[in-house]
Amino acid sequence: MPPQRIVSLAPAMTETLFALGVEERVAGVTDFCDYPPAALNKSRIGGAVNPNFEQIVALQPDLVLAQALTLNRRETVDALERLGLAVYATSASTVEGVLESTRRVGELAGAGERGERLVTQLRERLGKLKQRLEGRTPRRVLFVVWHEPLISVGRETFLGDALRLAGAESVVETKQEWPRLSLEEVVRQQPDFLVFASAHEQSVEKTLAELKERPGWRDLEAMSHHRVAIVSDAINRPAPRLVEAIEQLARQLHPGAFEEKDETRDSKPPLRPLSSAAAKARNVGAGSHR
Amino acid sequence: MRRLTFRRVLWVCTLQAVVLMAAVVVALKLGAVPISVTDLVFSLGRVAIGHDSELPSQFQVIVFGLRLPRIILAIFVGAALSVAGAGFQALLRNPLADPYVLGVSSGAALGAILSLIFAPEIPLVTPAAAFAGAALTIAAVYFLGRREGQLDGSTLLLGGIVMASFLSAVIMFLMTTLPGREQRGMSFWLMGDLSTPLPEEIGWVFAVGLAVGIGAIYSTAADLNLMLGGENEAVHLGVNAKRVKLVVYVAASVLTGLAVSVSGAIGYVGLLVPHALRWLVGSDYRILIPASALGGAIAVVLADTLARTIAAPTELPVGAMTAMAGAPVFIYLLRRSMR
Amino acid sequence: MSGNAVRLNVEQASYAYSAGERQAPLFTLEATSFQARPRELVAVLGPNASGKSTLLRLIAGTLKPLSGRVELDGFHTSQLDARTRAQKIAVVQQESPILFPLRAWEYVMQGRHPYGRTFHFESEEDFAIVENALEQVGARHVAERWMDKISGGEKQRVVVARALAQQPLLLLLDEPTLHLDIGAQVELLERLRQLATRSHHTVVVVTHELNLAAAFADQVVLLHKGKCLKVGPPAEVYRRELLEQVYEAPLEVEYGREGRPRVSIRGGKEIGLGSTPAQVV
Repeated sequence: MPPQRIVSLAPAMTETLFALGVEERVAGVTDFCDYPPAALNKSRIGGAVNPNFEQIVALQPDLVLAQALTLNRRETVDALERLGLAVYATSASTVEGVLESTRRVGELAGAGERGERLVTQLRERLGKLKQRLEGRTPRRVLFVVWHEPLISVGRETFLGDALRLAGAESVVETKQEWPRLSLEEVVRQQPDFLVFASAHEQSVEKTLAELKERPGWRDLEAMSHHRVAIVSDAINRPAPRLVEAIEQLARQLHPGAFEEKDETRDSKPPLRPLSSAAAKARNVGAGSHR
Repeated sequence: MRRLTFRRVLWVCTLQAVVLMAAVVVALKLGAVPISVTDLVFSLGRVAIGHDSELPSQFQVIVFGLRLPRIILAIFVGAALSVAGAGFQALLRNPLADPYVLGVSSGAALGAILSLIFAPEIPLVTPAAAFAGAALTIAAVYFLGRREGQLDGSTLLLGGIVMASFLSAVIMFLMTTLPGREQRGMSFWLMGDLSTPLPEEIGWVFAVGLAVGIGAIYSTAADLNLMLGGENEAVHLGVNAKRVKLVVYVAASVLTGLAVSVSGAIGYVGLLVPHALRWLVGSDYRILIPASALGGAIAVVLADTLARTIAAPTELPVGAMTAMAGAPVFIYLLRRSMR
Repeated sequence: MSGNAVRLNVEQASYAYSAGERQAPLFTLEATSFQARPRELVAVLGPNASGKSTLLRLIAGTLKPLSGRVELDGFHTSQLDARTRAQKIAVVQQESPILFPLRAWEYVMQGRHPYGRTFHFESEEDFAIVENALEQVGARHVAERWMDKISGGEKQRVVVARALAQQPLLLLLDEPTLHLDIGAQVELLERLRQLATRSHHTVVVVTHELNLAAAFADQVVLLHKGKCLKVGPPAEVYRRELLEQVYEAPLEVEYGREGRPRVSIRGGKEIGLGSTPAQVV
């Protein structure tokens, strides 16, 4: 008998559950679960870092999903287990790990077949992407998690792995998950592209306009030539949408690989309309293959 | 001459215990999930006569698995911090001393952070590491605080303050290296937070430590009354000042370490509860110690209940409640003492 | 010990605060000897920095003599534990800071501390002793008042009452007349005199008031720059040459009632009792 009342402790988990088609059996989500929009109608159980245990228990869940490595605290998972609840915590540090977790969540949630199919599709897309990018030199990028202070992402996270699959190479080499960087070092490295992730493109544009004037930032060639890629914030979440975000990034970094018409491209419209900035980048990219 | 008798102490403590019971019932009733008082009373009754299997399981989990342990922890933390505060105020002969002034909470915070950085997956590690950090700090400040072979009030204060600022700097540095989710968890911890349920073993360890610590300080209560008038005077009146200082220092620090290890640094309780009780029952430590313990328990239970209900379903850290209530009271006390 | 056997025996007691390994110790008090019996009032006299406080602390047992011994009824005072010592010796210090407000009777009750057990509360007997002590110093009427609300003289009496509540053999007072007016000074010393005579206490008063000491003391110990110059009844100790050497001022010694000496500045200027420390005599 598959679980009938599932509680999600992370936005990525919520997304995954909806993508697996089990949304009717989702009993509770966090305050930050905003995708898909239907998730906003579900009961709230507090934040991801400090959920409200009473509300979780009151929902009488038979399965609780947590995103252990990058979001939920181990104290939370441990406490829920001691209260007698069944908890599954994912801990993906690579994109493949995310796919495997998705498959496993499908199994546990009683949507094993759907899960298998979904993951197979996603793997196919990644495979095709890999083909397209075959032989192309990876772009050297700086993924900007936050600009003030300057925080990027380490290589041994699923995000770092996602960058790699999108045909990028992070200029950041560190074991830390969210390394704080010195702007000087970044200027010395001169990444080809700056990558920002956001749900709202306009706010990124505004930020860029400000940063352009600042010392350090204005010395970045990627900044002055507006080689900036903006992807949806799905790249932050270890959920199925991650693959779309990877594709979106790849298009901006290697537009040349996507110029011919491709029937196997996903028929759904792209997640976010490409901005003029991305279009400019594409033009620049078209003219200069490194 | 109205004297302090054992009967009076008993009377005051019984009164406070009744208030505490009332606070506990209120705290059990209130929460994100509403529970009626009648349900509560009946269920407590059923548990008392051993029929707890008749209760709906979700009710049982919420009341006995979540709220009651949390309330018990609040009681322990409140009692520990208040008695420690009263002890430090006598030891340092300073009415503005609080349990954190000698750096114990910073040591515990450092222990907690280190345990998160080297993150083994054992859940008991964080409180244990925090207590270890506290213990090391206690030892270090002890050696810093000695003069001519025994603890000296002003030297101790200086040593403690220096240690606290040094540790804070290290903590701030380490915070920047923490992964994101731990950072948020750590901020809750630094503010004082009881929202994460802890394993039962911790409760037992705390209970034992609490009893021993309060007992040790209480055994010096009559001596402390005299120490307040100056150490030389106390020695001439038969107080073994060297021993008393050591006992109070260790006991009060251990109580603080225990409290901070499980709940983070909840502020103002150790400072203000002894003051409030002094105003109500007098400065005699033979009544002040038990009264502070019970008074502190009441204060933290109420503050924690507010923390979980005032912005439900969001939980505020309990340290925010005590700070918001405590700061104005503190200012008032300060102004009164200046008149 | 019955009758008038020696109670306090100070024998060649000396003390040095700094004793380095290679330097000779800097003596704050060189070998000093005197004896005191029950019912005696002894005055320890000398200008500032003469070693009076050190001698007091040696007698009180809070310092251990570098050489020689200080014995009370046969016990070395520095070897007694704090509790026993407080039952035998009561010390009245110069400054009595009070951090939290206390009533006078509560203050005096502190003197019963050496007799209490760990978790004890005061008994009826303790209260009787406190009342009695206040009675003996004539401060019974301020028993319920707050310590910071009574006059300097009354406060001083309460402090002595606390010492009495300890039921000690020996009463030590360090400059008890410092902040008192002349009337209060005389009154205090008269009380101390009575306590010594009637209640079998031995009273040792450290002071620099020459005439007060002369009027009330049985024995005087004269100290000067860490040395004990002379011990004896006031009439013997108050030699003009000796006093002039110690106080470095032109002095004159006269004899009043009962053969007790009286000191004044030579040249006619009469300076009586109750002078402040700024003036030498």
